[in-house]
Amino acid sequence: MEYEKMIFVCEDSMEGIFTAVYEGWLWCVRGKTVEISVKEPECPEFFTTVIPVPSDSEKAGKVLRTVRDKLGFAVYEAVCYTAVSVHPDKGTLVFRVLWQALSGRRCDRRVMENLADPDVNQVSRLRIKVWHELHRYYGFVRFREIGGSVLYSRITPENDVLEMLAPHFSDRFPNENWMIYDEGRKKVLLHPKGGSCSIQKGAVLQAEKDGALTETEEYEELWKSFCRSITIQERKNPRLQQQLLPLKFRSNMPEFP
Amino acid sequence: MVIQESMSIMEKLEILSDAAKYDVACTSSGVDRSGDGSGIGNSIHAGICHSFAGDGRCISLLKVLYTNECVFDCKYCVNRASNDVVRTSFTPEEISRLTIEFYRRNYIEGLFLSSGVKGSPDATMEEMIRAVEILRGQYHFQGYIHMKAIPGASPDLIERAGFLVDRMSVNLELPTAEGLKRLAPNKSRRTILKPMKQIQVRHMENKQELVLYRHAPKFVPAGQSTQMIIGATGESDYQIVSVAESLYQQYSLKRVFYSAFVSVNRDSALPMLPQGPPLLREHRLYQADWLLRFYGFRAQELLSEKHPNFNLLLDPKCDWAIGHLEYFPVEINTADYRTLLRVPGIGEKSASRILGARRYHSLDFHDLKKIGVVLKRALYFITCNGRMMYPTKLEEDYIVRNMLDPREKLPVHPSEVTYRQLSLFDDQTLMQAGIGG
Repeated sequence: MEYEKMIFVCEDSMEGIFTAVYEGWLWCVRGKTVEISVKEPECPEFFTTVIPVPSDSEKAGKVLRTVRDKLGFAVYEAVCYTAVSVHPDKGTLVFRVLWQALSGRRCDRRVMENLADPDVNQVSRLRIKVWHELHRYYGFVRFREIGGSVLYSRITPENDVLEMLAPHFSDRFPNENWMIYDEGRKKVLLHPKGGSCSIQKGAVLQAEKDGALTETEEYEELWKSFCRSITIQERKNPRLQQQLLPLKFRSNMPEFP
Repeated sequence: MVIQESMSIMEKLEILSDAAKYDVACTSSGVDRSGDGSGIGNSIHAGICHSFAGDGRCISLLKVLYTNECVFDCKYCVNRASNDVVRTSFTPEEISRLTIEFYRRNYIEGLFLSSGVKGSPDATMEEMIRAVEILRGQYHFQGYIHMKAIPGASPDLIERAGFLVDRMSVNLELPTAEGLKRLAPNKSRRTILKPMKQIQVRHMENKQELVLYRHAPKFVPAGQSTQMIIGATGESDYQIVSVAESLYQQYSLKRVFYSAFVSVNRDSALPMLPQGPPLLREHRLYQADWLLRFYGFRAQELLSEKHPNFNLLLDPKCDWAIGHLEYFPVEINTADYRTLLRVPGIGEKSASRILGARRYHSLDFHDLKKIGVVLKRALYFITCNGRMMYPTKLEEDYIVRNMLDPREKLPVHPSEVTYRQLSLFDDQTLMQAGIGG
């Protein structure tokens, strides 16, 4: 038998979370309390059913399409960004906000404006946080040329934004071979010249192991010297610099030794 | 004057970026353009910051001079003709190559090209255009380009440049014509305002063309900007803000930048600034600039002949609100957008969020905090459902006293206040609070 509260455990990805939303919805309409978690609950609770949900791209696709068509792009973007954030309750938050907007024949396209509601407020905050990190990486990704024809970059994002970098960078560098490596999640985003992007999981880069990336190239030296000479000494303000460009981003940027 | 012929790219870059650093504008915003797949690059409307220099300013464009040779002798400028500095120039090929290689590595969003005047304004402009033509034509570069129009260059060169770049700017240099005459003898208001007008008119015409022909070439799609130096001559904030306002209205500028005067030359016509550049004043001017552009304020509301300078201890909006208590308190649950915008502590974002959120239910102070209103400043000026947050008084001295309190404690209850005439400049703790914050 199913207890009043159900926890759906899914894979930590957009696909996993939206599959769990699909499954959870069927139980929520029957009056159960639904939670979505990306990892097994650490301590079991009484009167709670835990159901593992295998990712299903079809089900996740259905949910995402419904959200985009019925609730519009703003809500779609907000729940997608929330789904890739690092917040432990992100699944439940997404579910509750969608429930608030869509349950019982409702269709509240402006649900994200209800900021006095704690769930909506939290989702809105996570959206801003992830968007901010994504936007920062648009600027802070640094490529270096390896082997004469491949541009390589390494990042360590807090939220899982790697896939979201793909549209921006493929539009920007369509005629380059480039890759961006998410060091923490061991994933790499690959873009062949003139082609489209793909993700490779569990990647360990040979070049990284060989230490082929330690030598500096000419343009890196030029860039470093540019960053030095563009600073106005009379206005020096390292606190402001650090506020705008936190230390965690700097490990992959040649201008910061 | 030393002119060296053979210099490495590294040396040139060092000299010519060092000479360009006093230019303020490094924004890459204002134009959305996706790549067409033929070359490299795109632009996004919000702009992207790629790094931040040690002074906290954003690095978004490769900001360099084409040459630091200059026939002009502007007193404040490090490259003036009478200074003895190493002179050098890029070639169009060097600049375009450097831009592309930096761009490929995602160091920059594009190019910001300014220049000293080498020979004549026309000759200089011609070479700058050549560099940009290589970028656009040979490399199919679709990233952002910002180019300075050289005062005195001929109109058809400006027209040609305008179709290649995203933003153009002509520096106003100094807020008043007298200041300009004194410090920049080779420039005049006329040679500065003429190209500015030309760019504005052409930009307007181009908008009409684009309505008719969607694929017509775009003229300066991200608009034009300008900058002026603050604190080199004796003008008041009121004069500066009024000049900025008329530039926005009459020349439809996208941005006016303010640059705190940094003393690089020893000259009897220039002020000595032993305490460093007037950064706080520059900051207040930017705040006022935002009030003009986004908050519906007019220059005469913020300042006047009698009150010509901003209060350095309070931001311009608080300063205005404290002088106009008759508009307050504002009821959060009923006030319209424009009224909300005028409340200190409520910005564009929180104002529109308030409008959205109060459709669901009426808001209280706890909700406002979650929405992002800065209650520390706003609480004196607002009510939620007819109630104030704390029992505060709508009185100038009282509000100033509490706002400037360095310990950010809750407002003192009116009954505990000892009444006295408050003067901003004799109270040691208040002074420290303002300067520290």
